[in-house]
Amino acid sequence: MKKIGFLFALILLFNCKEQPKNTSSKTSTHAKAETVEISYAEGFSITNFEDFKIVKVNSPWPKAEKEFTYVLAKKNVTLPDTLQFDQKVTIPIKKIVVTSTTHIPSLESLGQENTLIGFPHLDYISSEKTRALINNGKVEEIGENEHINTEVLLNLNPDVVIGFAVEGGNKTFETVNKSGIPVVYNGDWTETDPLGKAEWIKFFGAFYNQEQKAEEIFNEIEEEYLSAKKLAQQAENQPSVLAGSMYKDVWYLPYGNSWQAQFIKDAKANYLYAETTGNGSISTAFESVLDKAQNADFWIAPGSFTSYEQMQNASEHYQEFNAFQQQKIYSFAGVKGETGGVLYYELAPQRPDLVLKDLIKIFHPELLTNYETTFFKALE
Amino acid sequence: MQKTSLYLLSGLLLLLVLLMLNISLGSVTIPLKDILASFFNAEVEKETWRYIILDYRLPKAITAVLVGSGLALSGLLMQTLFRNPLAGPYVLGLSSGASLGVAIVILGGAVFGGVFSTLFLSKFTLVIAASLGSVLVLLAVLATSFRVKDTMALLIIGLMFASLTSAVVSVLSYFSPSESLQKYIFWSFGSLGNLAWQEVFILAIFWLAGVIISIFCIKNLNALLLGEKYAKSLGTNLKQNRILVILATGLLAGSITAFAGPIAFIGLAVPHLVRQVITKSNHLVLFPAVALGGAILMLICDSIAQLPGSNLTLPINAITSLIGAPVVIWLLVRKKKLYF
Repeated sequence: MKKIGFLFALILLFNCKEQPKNTSSKTSTHAKAETVEISYAEGFSITNFEDFKIVKVNSPWPKAEKEFTYVLAKKNVTLPDTLQFDQKVTIPIKKIVVTSTTHIPSLESLGQENTLIGFPHLDYISSEKTRALINNGKVEEIGENEHINTEVLLNLNPDVVIGFAVEGGNKTFETVNKSGIPVVYNGDWTETDPLGKAEWIKFFGAFYNQEQKAEEIFNEIEEEYLSAKKLAQQAENQPSVLAGSMYKDVWYLPYGNSWQAQFIKDAKANYLYAETTGNGSISTAFESVLDKAQNADFWIAPGSFTSYEQMQNASEHYQEFNAFQQQKIYSFAGVKGETGGVLYYELAPQRPDLVLKDLIKIFHPELLTNYETTFFKALE
Repeated sequence: MQKTSLYLLSGLLLLLVLLMLNISLGSVTIPLKDILASFFNAEVEKETWRYIILDYRLPKAITAVLVGSGLALSGLLMQTLFRNPLAGPYVLGLSSGASLGVAIVILGGAVFGGVFSTLFLSKFTLVIAASLGSVLVLLAVLATSFRVKDTMALLIIGLMFASLTSAVVSVLSYFSPSESLQKYIFWSFGSLGNLAWQEVFILAIFWLAGVIISIFCIKNLNALLLGEKYAKSLGTNLKQNRILVILATGLLAGSITAFAGPIAFIGLAVPHLVRQVITKSNHLVLFPAVALGGAILMLICDSIAQLPGSNLTLPINAITSLIGAPVVIWLLVRKKKLYF
């Protein structure tokens, strides 16, 4: 079985190598080929042809070795024989299964939440609109992301499954693919630019023939983000910021090149670990964090803590930090949906403008006097 | 006997040196002058350093001594009780019981929701859960030890309890989200840090109780070395001795697992290491030697796990085995004989 999988992967790999030649020949024969403009996201591209579209996803997971090519076409459209692709999806989508809460806001913005028929671990979804659909039994529970209930998923028979994977070789998705239901990998979470993550709404737009609307929504978010960033530059001071929390005596915090760190920078604050680079999160000894960040002005996103008491109970060491004593800790863990899903995880990637404004409000309250934060709240 | 006291004395000295070394080394480089100043309440260049020394490194070093000696002692107790060189502090299923308790709190919160997730508020939740798990398994083993005559059967029963609890843990982990799973896995790596003084104090009380009970068993344990029948003919109350030994091990290994997580290897390996150096089988000698050996090995492992000078730390469980296993293999190959 493993060998077949390997062979399958090998064939896909060769297919994808041949790909550029085919598309270029295609481009020359089809006068109307146009590439959709993607300004920030690095993980995908969309090319529109006369009667079909090609969506390419080049980083479904970090260090992915292959690019995935998906053809989106209406029913009964005959594709050119020379066209090579991984999956073919019939559009527009009537029934969809998505696998990450970050996909939900895109569906809602495009007004397509009614097409959602299945999701793994429904409790994670917080948005009121989609929760109403779930409560009406419109959305089926399909298990956990790592162990999706294959039978239920096959039985739902969606037009497409938008999957995400932390690495290649998800057995469930392979089985689903073999049954004729296309699985398309979404790599929004591998983007490191805040606007890059948000731009994945264009990816969803392509599946619903809603490119125009997706573009408008994105442009608005972009504008809001950039003007907030500009506003932050007016601040006179640049406070220092600590992030993360300990488990046992090891501290986990985001790298300086991460998505979260970018927000801190754009909100004109000095993230104390801005110089670090890497994937995932830094794990470092408690004493080195204390040595470096004891006097940090602010402390954001301390794990899942929502009150000072909880932090103190977890470890007495937290009290030694200036931000703790001055009560300058802000967390997104307290804003939850009806069933306990953290709103930040769901909505923040799609609304970087709100995240940035939250942080500006925290670091430079004088700049946004009448603003109520969406995700980040002061600890109790 | 003189040679033995020499060994013990140098062991004690080594322990003190290592204790100082352990406190001096860490991710943050602190000059020796400031380390000493922190102890004597004198001027320290940076106040943070005093906190790091007195409230982080010192409790960690003391925890290392308690954990190392406690686990090594309970390993010795189990090896003699079962007359089996493969026995360790966890053969009775204590760590599996503790794991189950912790798994129910961490993973159960995600799986069952409701009450479990609010339990997390208290800082002693995990400690209490681990202790309850250990105590339940311990009681089950004690109950069976009244019924079963053969000590070997007890060993098998302990292993069966371990299998049972680990099966429940795997079912729980299968349904848990990755975040809780990560928390559980990190707990199972073991950790000496993050114990506040208050917790170190509680651990020390349990440790003391366990040690005192086991001291009462020394004479009987020596008799047991010659076989159960012989011990009986010497007037040893086998059943009472068995219960006392199990109780001592439960107190030592149970409290250590509750506070520091399941620390692997030390309990099994240290008695063998010590027997290679001190070839006496008298428990009056072995006892302090094994306790010292455990504390010394644990301090060395912790110093290495801190990777002095770097910002990283390694899980203590990986280090104990990485350092300990080659040493045991080397000693056995060199001496060509297992003293047991």
